[in-house]
Amino acid sequence: MSQDLEPRLAAYLARRMPQASHLVVDRLQRISGGASRETYRFCLTWTEAEERRTRRLILRRDPPASLIDTERRIEFEAYRAFHGSAVPVPEMLWLEEGTGPLDHPFFIAEEISGYEAAPAVLWSEAYLPVHAALAERKWTILGQIARADPVALGLDKVMYQPAPAECWSRELGHWEAILDKDATEPLPIARAAIRWLKANPPPPPPRISVVHGDYRTGNFLFAPDGQIHGILDWEMAHLGDSLEDLGWSLNPVWSSGRGLAGGLVPEQDAVAIWSRSSGQPVDPAALHWWTLFNCIKGQAIWISSARVWMDGGNREPIMVYPPWALQNAQDRAILKVMGHL
Amino acid sequence: MKPVVPDVLGELAALILRNAHPDVSPSDRASALGLTAALLGLAAESWDGRVQHLVQENRAVWALLSEGSSLLGTAGPGHPANETDLRISGLELENARLRQALIDLQARLEITGGADARALNAQIWAELTQSTQRRLTASSPV
Repeated sequence: MSQDLEPRLAAYLARRMPQASHLVVDRLQRISGGASRETYRFCLTWTEAEERRTRRLILRRDPPASLIDTERRIEFEAYRAFHGSAVPVPEMLWLEEGTGPLDHPFFIAEEISGYEAAPAVLWSEAYLPVHAALAERKWTILGQIARADPVALGLDKVMYQPAPAECWSRELGHWEAILDKDATEPLPIARAAIRWLKANPPPPPPRISVVHGDYRTGNFLFAPDGQIHGILDWEMAHLGDSLEDLGWSLNPVWSSGRGLAGGLVPEQDAVAIWSRSSGQPVDPAALHWWTLFNCIKGQAIWISSARVWMDGGNREPIMVYPPWALQNAQDRAILKVMGHL
Repeated sequence: MKPVVPDVLGELAALILRNAHPDVSPSDRASALGLTAALLGLAAESWDGRVQHLVQENRAVWALLSEGSSLLGTAGPGHPANETDLRISGLELENARLRQALIDLQARLEITGGADARALNAQIWAELTQSTQRRLTASSPV
């Protein structure tokens, strides 16, 4: 339970902040959602240079078994690389890869507070008038991620740098292997899509980019004025083809039934914003490939979640929600992208 | 639906019991109960139609496999589904057997070519589309 964490977290922070005294952790609260990391917000208060200070922070801890197996160092470094840039991200503070302090690896970051993340809020009356503005910011920021130089950011030191020609096969191979390993039942629609993807590969990208890996509605912090104040959940970040991120953002499961890219604007508008911001023209056939690929990636994630639950690794209800709520929708997204629906 | 509904309902029952304890923090309780409610809603939606949909689907896929075996000269799908056992678990086992065979058939049709193969492949896509319609929930985003 959350309460048990407060004293252990305080003890850990006391070791990491030797300059601080009278350190108190309180108001620790688990944030709903998050099937691949446990996320908590908390308040840290301490005395330093004879001054009482307070900061609101986020703890992201690995669960016992996760929906997505990722290295928390990669996520930590991805956030750190973009901090202070045009891509708004919270400041990373401490990374702990050992299991001693809190049983599982974790990192601590600043909390960007006062903004919304839940898609349900985005569809409320108050936000409908700013959907176009939000879309402009959403795909502009994604274009800025695509434009960033991963070597200049130092991310080539923590992430594998694929050759342009292997971007598609590396990603497809990765997610197909997860489907092979975790499938809980035969998946005729996904298998047919994989055969098509292998038979019709996309051209290599002009350059290797940072790929956020989970850039979608629900993973950014937004405000009523249409501004975006934080891009979150970099746990699947890697280097590859920037169209991969654009394709994930266009996965029909993020439309929330509104028939719009991310539930916000028509797909061609989102693509045009991204193209302007990234400085890259978009090959429609290549984008189609990456959008369909991302339907496979999504299906692999939802099914892995079922597998983790069924194998007893994590019995939280959040592990059941993706396969129950999204597996059939993801199949329908595949059908739609392939022109069968 | 995987994980299967009875296993999930059992786990949710235990979770509700744990959350009935007064010492559970409000945020943990809110998170657990919100998701529990969503899952109960999804289970309820599937309740009435599940057997009907599995029987329909198993019959439709069996017919496609039979047609495929005639076209390709391969072994057929075996006996029609045994519908004396209408438990969901039994129907799902048969469904998995048939859908795996459908994957194999469709892959063969794609490389076989010819008008008959293309026509059967189109029928398979129509059935796959119909299968997602059977599983559709009210909150489905697609």
